[in-house]
Amino acid sequence: MTPPTQPVAGMIRPVPMPPDSQTNRDLLAVMKGTSAGYWFLLGLSLFFMHLAGGIWIWQVYKGLGIAGYAHPIFWGVYIVTFVFWVGIAHAGTLISAILFLFRAKWRNAINRGAEAMTVFAVLTAAQFLGIHVGRIWKSYFILPYPNQRGLWVNFKSPLLWDTFAISTYATISILFLFVGLIPDIAIARDRATGWKKVLYTVLALGWVGSSSQWKAHNRSVLHLSGLATPLVLSVHSVVSWDFAMALVPGWHTTIFAPYFVAGAIFSGFAMVLTLMIPVRRIFGLEAYITDYHFENMARFILLTSTICGYAYMSEYFISWYSGVEAEQTAFWLRAFGPYWISTWVMIIFNTVLPQLLWFKKLRVNVPFLFVLSVLINIGMWFERYVIIITALSREYNPAVWGEFIPSWPEMGILAGSFGFFCTFFLIFLKLFPVVAIAEMKEIAIHEKAHGAQGTH
Amino acid sequence: MPEIDRRNFLKLVGVSAGAAAASGCSDPVQKLIPYVVQPEVITPGIAVIYASTCQECPAGCGLHVRTREGRPIKLEGNPDHPVNRGALCARGQASIGRTYLPDRYPGPLKRQADGGWAPISWEDAYALVAKKIAAVGDRTHVLGGSVGPTLSGLIDQWVAAVGAGGRTVYEPFDYTALKEASRSVFGIASRPRFDLSQADFVMDFGSDFLESWTSPVEHGRQFAAARRVDQEAGGARLVYVGPRLTLTAGNSDEWLPAKPGTEGVLALGIARAALDAARDSGAEVPDADQLRGILSGFGENAVSTITEVPAATIRRLGKAMLAARQPVALPPGVALTSRRATATTAAVLILNAVVGAIGKSVFVVPDGSATDQVASYREVAQLVQRMKAGSVSLLLIHDTNPVYSMPGDSGFAEALEKVDFVISTASGPDETSERADLILPDHTPMESWGDHAPRPGVRSLIQPTIRPLHDSRAFGDTLIESARAMGDATAAQLPSGSFRTILEQAWSDTDFRAALAAGGVFGKEAASGAVTLAPGISSLSFTEPRFEGDGSFVLLPVPSPLLSDGRGANLPWLQETPDPVMKVTWQSWAEISHTAAEALGAEYGDVLAVRTSVGVVELPVVPRGGIRDDVIAIAIGQGHDVGFYASRVEDGKLGGTRGVNVISILPALTDESGGRAWLTARAAVRATGAHRRVAKTQEFDNKRGRQLGEAVSLAALAAGDEAAEASNAAAAYSEEQAGAHADEHGGAHGDGQGGSHEIRKPYDPTHDSTDESPYRWGMTIDLDRCNGCSACIVACSIENNVPTVGEELVLLDRQMQWLRIERYIGDGFQELVTGRNAPTDHEVLGNTDVRHSPMLCQQCGAAPCEPVCPVFATYHNPEGLNGMIYNRCIGTRYCSNNCPYKVRRYNWFDYAIENVHEPMHLLLNPDVTVRGQGVMEKCTFCIQRIEGGRQIAKDGNRPIADGEVTPACAQTCPTQAITFGNLKDDASAAVKQADAGGARAYHALHMLNTRPSITYLAKVRRGTEGTEG
Repeated sequence: MTPPTQPVAGMIRPVPMPPDSQTNRDLLAVMKGTSAGYWFLLGLSLFFMHLAGGIWIWQVYKGLGIAGYAHPIFWGVYIVTFVFWVGIAHAGTLISAILFLFRAKWRNAINRGAEAMTVFAVLTAAQFLGIHVGRIWKSYFILPYPNQRGLWVNFKSPLLWDTFAISTYATISILFLFVGLIPDIAIARDRATGWKKVLYTVLALGWVGSSSQWKAHNRSVLHLSGLATPLVLSVHSVVSWDFAMALVPGWHTTIFAPYFVAGAIFSGFAMVLTLMIPVRRIFGLEAYITDYHFENMARFILLTSTICGYAYMSEYFISWYSGVEAEQTAFWLRAFGPYWISTWVMIIFNTVLPQLLWFKKLRVNVPFLFVLSVLINIGMWFERYVIIITALSREYNPAVWGEFIPSWPEMGILAGSFGFFCTFFLIFLKLFPVVAIAEMKEIAIHEKAHGAQGTH
Repeated sequence: MPEIDRRNFLKLVGVSAGAAAASGCSDPVQKLIPYVVQPEVITPGIAVIYASTCQECPAGCGLHVRTREGRPIKLEGNPDHPVNRGALCARGQASIGRTYLPDRYPGPLKRQADGGWAPISWEDAYALVAKKIAAVGDRTHVLGGSVGPTLSGLIDQWVAAVGAGGRTVYEPFDYTALKEASRSVFGIASRPRFDLSQADFVMDFGSDFLESWTSPVEHGRQFAAARRVDQEAGGARLVYVGPRLTLTAGNSDEWLPAKPGTEGVLALGIARAALDAARDSGAEVPDADQLRGILSGFGENAVSTITEVPAATIRRLGKAMLAARQPVALPPGVALTSRRATATTAAVLILNAVVGAIGKSVFVVPDGSATDQVASYREVAQLVQRMKAGSVSLLLIHDTNPVYSMPGDSGFAEALEKVDFVISTASGPDETSERADLILPDHTPMESWGDHAPRPGVRSLIQPTIRPLHDSRAFGDTLIESARAMGDATAAQLPSGSFRTILEQAWSDTDFRAALAAGGVFGKEAASGAVTLAPGISSLSFTEPRFEGDGSFVLLPVPSPLLSDGRGANLPWLQETPDPVMKVTWQSWAEISHTAAEALGAEYGDVLAVRTSVGVVELPVVPRGGIRDDVIAIAIGQGHDVGFYASRVEDGKLGGTRGVNVISILPALTDESGGRAWLTARAAVRATGAHRRVAKTQEFDNKRGRQLGEAVSLAALAAGDEAAEASNAAAAYSEEQAGAHADEHGGAHGDGQGGSHEIRKPYDPTHDSTDESPYRWGMTIDLDRCNGCSACIVACSIENNVPTVGEELVLLDRQMQWLRIERYIGDGFQELVTGRNAPTDHEVLGNTDVRHSPMLCQQCGAAPCEPVCPVFATYHNPEGLNGMIYNRCIGTRYCSNNCPYKVRRYNWFDYAIENVHEPMHLLLNPDVTVRGQGVMEKCTFCIQRIEGGRQIAKDGNRPIADGEVTPACAQTCPTQAITFGNLKDDASAAVKQADAGGARAYHALHMLNTRPSITYLAKVRRGTEGTEG
């Protein structure tokens, strides 16, 4: 292997880091004070969250019928949104774990935000399992708990795998976020007063920054990364098997696991951009999160978008090549049937527009990236909509082909899921450093040792 | 003890409120109270069955009323009854609900000055009636529906005793034409009886005998018997004449969409062709010379011009009918009763005479049955005139709803206003009773005594099976009591005792108790004596009927197989069961051809204004291929604004009009002999620009060549399995075919495609239950016998407590029925439609390749629903059934997604509470769990019946015998298309029938390898000579 021609520090970040104390100050400043804009955003998020909560309570009382379900489309917007948020949750772990293992140091600027996003996205997604089932009050049946009736769960069911996959993923991502936060919490503890002091003292777990603590910390991050890496691949594979294991035309394909994982990473990165671009702008973190980071993410988006595009084409090719009439019909109707708009939104937003990222100018054009990332999020929601709704609406039995139109309660709960997510993200911004201070300093130390533009 | 301060007090309040709230979350405690003194015949948990008679239509099918703990919960046909032999139609099944309708009158009611109702005691009511009658004397009149002989006799006695002016028996479907045509042709004024069971050639001039005409259950059974494919020539042929692809037309082998109103001319043309063929072949036809005289003007070319049926076809059919062993021609039913209906019917009877059907399939006997008492429409119109003139001052109306069912311009409602005092005996509100001054509610048939004589030799009894739910009294008793209130002189002219004792007296020539147990006395049917042509026959004139009004469409009012003349509209199951042809529920719709719709610029669901000389109605259009371009068809039965289920909620309260009443735009016209004419109006149609969503449960009839609703041609079947397999391969989808078919918009029919019929997947179904189990439950469904009548749907819903959900939820396809009948046209092809859902249909004028395929849970051996349930709520039971544990279900709905047959239904709301309106809950079957909100449900093969059978078998220490357990759908099937049994028992009927089906046997969607327990037998496409099968 030839050594890199570019200085290592340059690979990590092309611009030198600000000095140590300023880093602390800048990054902790994010947590200080709350503007009217912040309160407005938080209020808006809380409003939607509570709106959705109200709708949900009404739904539990009245019945799932208030949603738009129409036979035979028995999975609707809730499962679409579930898969959407699980997908979003992927970028965090990918950035934290896989990029950590690959020593891609540029991730340090964005990993905290991505990890927080992951945790909140998984929590949002998990709620949809409960919102979706008809009898939430009996949903504990899905857990394999010992009971005197000797009832057990069906380990053959992909939904059970889902339960385990999601709960495992949630546990690991919360741990990952927390372990990474400990040194930063300690920094915050040292500066905080009042109730925050108490909170940080508890959460910092007595961190003093001794070398033995650092050693333990680094090792635990390494091990967690090792544990989390397979999860990145497994969680969305399992979610995809909810569909692939069924015999529904349009679902029953072997490509689903890699296709879903690529799609998940794709949407996850898009969501990181959607969140971090405003955060950087509002809190003036240009020195820490540079265009260079965004460009790297854009490259990832380009790669995963291309994989998605390949998957789309492959699905159509195989359905034609299979010679199975039901498959052919399902896919033809997917593109030209009742849901053609959703399908073309998905294809254009997810595979056509991201191809513009081949141009470096656009990769570093932050407003463009922001708009694109939002469009990708929309496109990825529609991808799940297309997969779930169109497939169910055109199945084996033409006598009961149906049509699904989302209802207002469903859309309210969809909006509420963003409200829930944003509420927690906004609170997180003010309680914890959104850029990992300790890890940023690691880079600074590295720079000091080797000189800003230094050579080895 | 410490003092209770404010803080502690609040704490305690909080805790106790919390505890109360927490305990409020659990279900309220209900108590089961045992009988203190147990009634002798009632053992809790064991059904008691009473024989009775169905009162929904004059056919008079025998009933077995299944009661539990004193409540009738299910009707089944009486297997010994000669009319229905154990089967019931959808209407018969649903009629049990009449007793439990939420809107029944609580007791006698009197109209107040302010227009409202006030309760009145029966005694006061009788006194009032007596006073009124005494005051008006012979200006009293009785107007009622057709009732049984004993009650009818009592009414006549009452009319005489109280000195009333008269009595009119009014039935909207009066069959006067049939009676009068019989008089003209044979000199016998009685409705002839048609027996199809031995026929080998049925020529139907639009009678629609499988859906609404005279006795659909009986005719359905007879036709299925005549059509058994293992007979000579593959069973009887059916040729249908009519402008619309009805259910009967869809079961025919050839369909001639002749110009409406010309059926009689066509019949004579065919008779003439038969006569000519007889002359050529030297066959003997009685009265040939006389007939030749009548038929002289009906040469094939002249007839062809009038009827728009090709001359060659007329010639061919004439020959075929003459050559047939036992041909029969059926006269027009209600929809085609034109102003020349008597002549048309006479023409059909003449055809029967020519081809020698009289005495073999057509029996002309004076029967004096209840239906013969029905007044002709002319007589009813005379009554209306008298009412208008004020010469009727008191009208007693029973068992009929003329305000709804009299033609729009008959002026009945206005005439009713002129009557000083109107008494109604309706048990619940209808359009007529709402205009009455006094309501003396009658019992429902489930609460009544009575009898019925559908035809000579058949006398059947009606007995009460529940104590009356409300303060109602039998109509017979009302008559007797009101006469008594008039004084002893009047009372003396009526028999003493109650109506029940009168009934017993009327039956004193029989062993009454034995007759009650058996359901009646079923003697030998009177054979038809020799009938000769009446001399007056030559004076009949056969011309085309005239139509009232102008407009480019002929208005075809179709009697609904479910709602009949509108009397079924208040029964929720009949509203929610899809129309067997158009699959529309809860609504009215207009049928016009695609060409006509295009010319009007109307698309599916666009609201049309249909204007006749009488009035205008607005309703959404469902364009279809199976109707003539010059005809608009609207089903009779909707358009009620009274009735809990018949009307709709508007502005938060009942009383809105559901659909439209086509009768309201029909002119009051009769045929030559005074019978009511229906096919009388022309309609001008325009699109209003409005749009309405149509609650249609099946929107696509193209089965795309998939293994559903299969059919096989007789030729392929005769050539055996090999040929069937070969044609199977030949029918495999190819792009050329698809293109060709897409162009002709017709799909696969009659072009020798041989059908995409595939033989049964060779697997051994007995492995799908555990080795220890002696059972693997399964079914054989013969699509060649299924005519699509939909009785099974209603039977299933009532047996299994399946709720109805109403129009709004059917629009979301959320109907709960466990069983549906899929209707496909031809083998279908891979048509790719773009855009949003617009129902497509592939009906073509003249094409009869309609497949009706009952679809219910297939109880798969390798069921896709089972592995995906995370909590084992659906699982494979040891006897091979897909069990469904409602209590375990958390409602992920994955099972439904993975079910290729899409037979699972989900409780989106708490239907059991919200949609079962009191006292409808009394109808719930206690053997079947009532499902709560949020759980999945589906067909169980009536597992409660299997368990019932098991208990009986266990008592005898033997396995369950074949035929001992019959699910509700199979039990009620008029044609016995469904056979249920144990697939591990080679001698079981289900296995034998599947084996006998041979190359016709297939499994639905067998390519998915779900190992279904239901074997379908493909429909046989017979074709007629000259047409392809």
